[in-house]
Amino acid sequence: MTAIDHDEEAVVIIGSGAGGGTLAYELTARGIKVVVLEAGPHITNDEYVNDEWAAFSQMAWLDPRTTSGSWRIARDFPNLPAWIVKAVGGSTTHWSGATPRFLAHEFQARSTYGAIDGANLLDWPLTLAELAPYYDRAEIAMGSTHRHGRAALPANNNYKVFANGAARVGYNFYATGPYATNAEPYDGRPASVQDGFNFQGDKSGAKWSTLVREIPRAGATGHLDLRPLSQAVQITHDQTGRADAVLYLDAAGGLHRQRARIVCVAGNSIETPRLLLLSASSLFPDGLANSSGQVGRNYMRHTTGSVYAQFPDPVHSYRGETMAGIIADEARHDERRGFAGRYYLETLSLGPAFLAAFADPGSWGRDFTSILDGYAHTAGLWIVGEDMPQETNRITLNGSVTDAAGLPVANVNFDDHPNDVAMRDHGYRQAELLYDAVGSISAHRTPPYPSTHNLGTSRMSARPEDGVVNKFGRAHDVPNLFVSDGSVFTTGAAANPTLTIVALAIRQADHIAEQLANRSL
Amino acid sequence: MRVIRVAFPHAQLPDTAYEKTADALIALAEKSPRHFLALSSGLASLDTLPAGAFLDLNAMDATARLRAIEHTEFFAFVRANTVLTLYNLPEVWEALGYEGASFDKGGYLTRGFNDLDWLPEPRIEEYTGELNHVEIGPLTRQVGAASGPAESASTRDEVTK
Ligand SMILES: Cc1cc2nc3c(=O)[nH]c(=O)nc-3n(C[C@H](O)[C@H](O)[C@H](O)COP(=O)(O)OP(=O)(O)OC[C@H]3O[C@@H](n4cnc5c(N)ncnc54)[C@H](O)[C@@H]3O)c2cc1C
Repeated sequence: MTAIDHDEEAVVIIGSGAGGGTLAYELTARGIKVVVLEAGPHITNDEYVNDEWAAFSQMAWLDPRTTSGSWRIARDFPNLPAWIVKAVGGSTTHWSGATPRFLAHEFQARSTYGAIDGANLLDWPLTLAELAPYYDRAEIAMGSTHRHGRAALPANNNYKVFANGAARVGYNFYATGPYATNAEPYDGRPASVQDGFNFQGDKSGAKWSTLVREIPRAGATGHLDLRPLSQAVQITHDQTGRADAVLYLDAAGGLHRQRARIVCVAGNSIETPRLLLLSASSLFPDGLANSSGQVGRNYMRHTTGSVYAQFPDPVHSYRGETMAGIIADEARHDERRGFAGRYYLETLSLGPAFLAAFADPGSWGRDFTSILDGYAHTAGLWIVGEDMPQETNRITLNGSVTDAAGLPVANVNFDDHPNDVAMRDHGYRQAELLYDAVGSISAHRTPPYPSTHNLGTSRMSARPEDGVVNKFGRAHDVPNLFVSDGSVFTTGAAANPTLTIVALAIRQADHIAEQLANRSL
Repeated sequence: MRVIRVAFPHAQLPDTAYEKTADALIALAEKSPRHFLALSSGLASLDTLPAGAFLDLNAMDATARLRAIEHTEFFAFVRANTVLTLYNLPEVWEALGYEGASFDKGGYLTRGFNDLDWLPEPRIEEYTGELNHVEIGPLTRQVGAASGPAESASTRDEVTK
């Protein structure tokens, strides 16, 4: 690893997950010097543990956060609004691997759906055609199965139930991917051994993450200075309003200042707006890059829910690649279903520890224990669909709760939109029909987990008054400040977000490199 | 321990699982005066209700007794921490039919990840038939579901024994 002087004006990237890790690699590969500040430790594959709670405690972001609003999370997990990893590689270490693309109309949500009460819908300043070449590059980087010659993963037990059910209810668009875990050796990494731990760090390296690919490759260029256990607490600027440095804390609480030529924020959609709000100054009294007032707003988490069905015969759904199964037939905008937007169904399986914690938080007694008694005979799936952006679904600084450094923590306020509720109910019902078609004896509806897909809190917009960044993720208000993670999503679409985050980061890297080359940055 | 067994009844679980959980809860409560107080007064109050000592009640009455106090701090503490502890015990995993970590054994690749044999082998590749994926509007063929809005009872729960 290369040391970059604190007084050298580098590109400073905050966060090393899907967005930050990708950007770091793409820039260093072009010879651009990059400092990556990562709040979490550098934990590698051999240190990962295949045990749900142990892995979660080892890597999840457990610093305090608070919640408010009518979502069930505020009651069941008031201090755990989201499941986000705090470690080098970010949440790509715990992500599962599903990589669908957005559909063309999903970039034009406002024009396609029309005005919806209470929803702050807006079209992206970007089209599928513009992003398509970057989707290709992202799929090749991540090794998505079913794409660019990558083989499909085989059917595991959970998928067999899922796909047969799909076929019997008349669905057609189902498959074991696209999914960014190797079915065959690829890119210097092995094939999946189907160890069943996909929401945890992957010991084998078959699963793509920025920890196994982008970070080590960026290191090998000689242009990366990766600083783990370094939490950015403020972005400072000069009198003209250009970002000039990032202040960060080391593990011992010592404060450092890294000078910056460009600052790219990729802390995931809760910490990114928190940092912008913490960076308020006399020039930017409402927070950095917040002249629109949209920083922290339009927080989205996808409309989700799970159904766990029990069968007379064994399933053993915990064996194998957890989310290597996707159905796209409901990924269509059809107002006759009673809601706008699309959703996918994807296979899902939790171990008994997490199933007990999340299946029906707060419940007990026989209704509850019967969910676990049938564990070995259970198949499960996840509904993941577009949720409506709402201005009041919002990240703010909590004035009364502070973190270890004494800084206000993020509060996450969320209410389901009626459209979200209608979509979730439709998904639950379709899932029950699907399992019923293959002989289920019971089905249990599980509410959304702490959010794994966190989106939208610094959204892209064509006009500065509608959002925070432009179509390259560059802040409307601060010319050398970029947002490089899922916070930039104008709307959420139905697809799992990471492929799109990576594609946008690659595109942003091209843009930054171009601007640096012609000295316009 | 009785409280835990009544609240989380599993016929197939060994007593040791409940004992370990009870011990873990007591150890946890001892770390916080507030929880310790809630636990001791909660346990004591179980015996002072009119129907008699908790340990003498049959399963149904004992469950009803717990229902009556389910919103107390005592019960919330027991419930939340039992969920975290009991289902994290390897003997419970085994009893429920969960095999856990497999990486050291080469994963489940040769150990049954695809051994389900009561359904036909499904297609794994993406659909290549004559239909186009519909992005807007209804499907062109009937799917086994009504096309209208779903019923709104999102908490409907059909778990059977
Ligand atoms: C269990 C699970 C399963 C998932 N499955 C899928 C899936 O199948 N498909 C899919 O598309 N997506 C999936 N996701 C979501 C996916 O992980 C995220 O969309 C993606 O990682 C987000 O990328 P990001 O760059 O925005 O943030 P992250 O990857 O979360 O990275 C953010 C990083 O920034 C660091 N950071 C934050 N604040 C600061 C600060 N102030 N200073 C320094 N560092 C900071 C954090 O520690 C973290 O390492 C899953 C997530 C989880 C948790």
